[in-house]
Amino acid sequence: MKSRWMLSAAVALPLLAGARHPTPVVKLVEHADAIRESLKGADRFFLHTVTIGKNDLATIQKSVKFTPDDPDVQFYVGKQSDGTDVGVVLFAQANTVHGPVEVALAMTPEQKIAKVTVTRATVETKPWVQEAIASGFLDHMRGLSVTDNPGSAVTPLKGRLSAMPYFEAEVIAAAVKRGLVLYGVLYRT
Amino acid sequence: MGLYRLRDCDRSVKLGAILFLLMLGYAYIFAFFMVKTWAGLSPSDVQATYVPSAAMSDSGMPMESQSSTQPLDLSSVPEMKHTVDTALLIQDSHIHIMIFALIAALQTLIVLGLGWNAPWRNLVILGAFGFGSLDFAGQWLMKAGIGGFAWLTILSGWGMTIIYLVILVGTVRAAMQPPAPRDARSFA
Repeated sequence: MKSRWMLSAAVALPLLAGARHPTPVVKLVEHADAIRESLKGADRFFLHTVTIGKNDLATIQKSVKFTPDDPDVQFYVGKQSDGTDVGVVLFAQANTVHGPVEVALAMTPEQKIAKVTVTRATVETKPWVQEAIASGFLDHMRGLSVTDNPGSAVTPLKGRLSAMPYFEAEVIAAAVKRGLVLYGVLYRT
Repeated sequence: MGLYRLRDCDRSVKLGAILFLLMLGYAYIFAFFMVKTWAGLSPSDVQATYVPSAAMSDSGMPMESQSSTQPLDLSSVPEMKHTVDTALLIQDSHIHIMIFALIAALQTLIVLGLGWNAPWRNLVILGAFGFGSLDFAGQWLMKAGIGGFAWLTILSGWGMTIIYLVILVGTVRAAMQPPAPRDARSFA
């Protein structure tokens, strides 16, 4: 009897170890897939990493009242085999009490939004995020420049979406805005 | 002295206590996999999840941004490391600390009926409430930039596990014991 208890405990202990409870994040699209889909026509890819300096950090904080978690910001650059630019993708995140939402923001060589893809949500927010995406508002962000307000694509949804999907649409727009600022301030070729 | 004796309770009470604990363990198993996936099990992984990047507030940060470009194989694009920022930690804390309190309270109700001596009983009750609190204390101290408190969070997780198993074993043993003869029942 005693040995049975000890065996049960030995099996259970490693399984139960640790009680940290990070918010469960759900991957909606893999990063590599988002890059590939956003930069169609590119057959060569480059990783452009920018380590933020004090001056640019001050500009970012002034623009969106946001401090990136990581001083290294990655831009995924797509080119054709002849060297023609196809565009750039970066991943930006906005956090709420319901968890983070991450977007892949693709920019054209003309510095306009080419495509926005939501890559991550949480277990709690996924249905609201999917309902927001299904409204098609991400398509209305295409063509916006770094100084435009992506929230303009959300406003027409008022009354069409219920409260939480609308809220998540606003969060997605906030993530896009962060991405636009990071792109506008940091991406120089 | 406890409030009651589980061994003397109706079978339904025993069944409820054991099933509650087993279901709690069931949930803990998935909590383990969630932690393993999103935070990691080693102190360095836990630190990377909770400790804010030092470089962003480091006075040694260069004035101008610096960049580098290298060819990329899309099949090797690394997924971004999941981190818990202050807003997420507030969310996690407000839910989990409340749930931890409810779990500890229910565990306490069971412990009170196990017939344990007072010092041991109090120690287990203290552990039931204390480890959950220390778990999140460690997370907030890491969020304050003190990465060494990853150990506090990890050890608190182990502490909760041990308390759970102690209560589970005690409960099953008490439930399997035959009720004491009526004239021998005493709560003194």
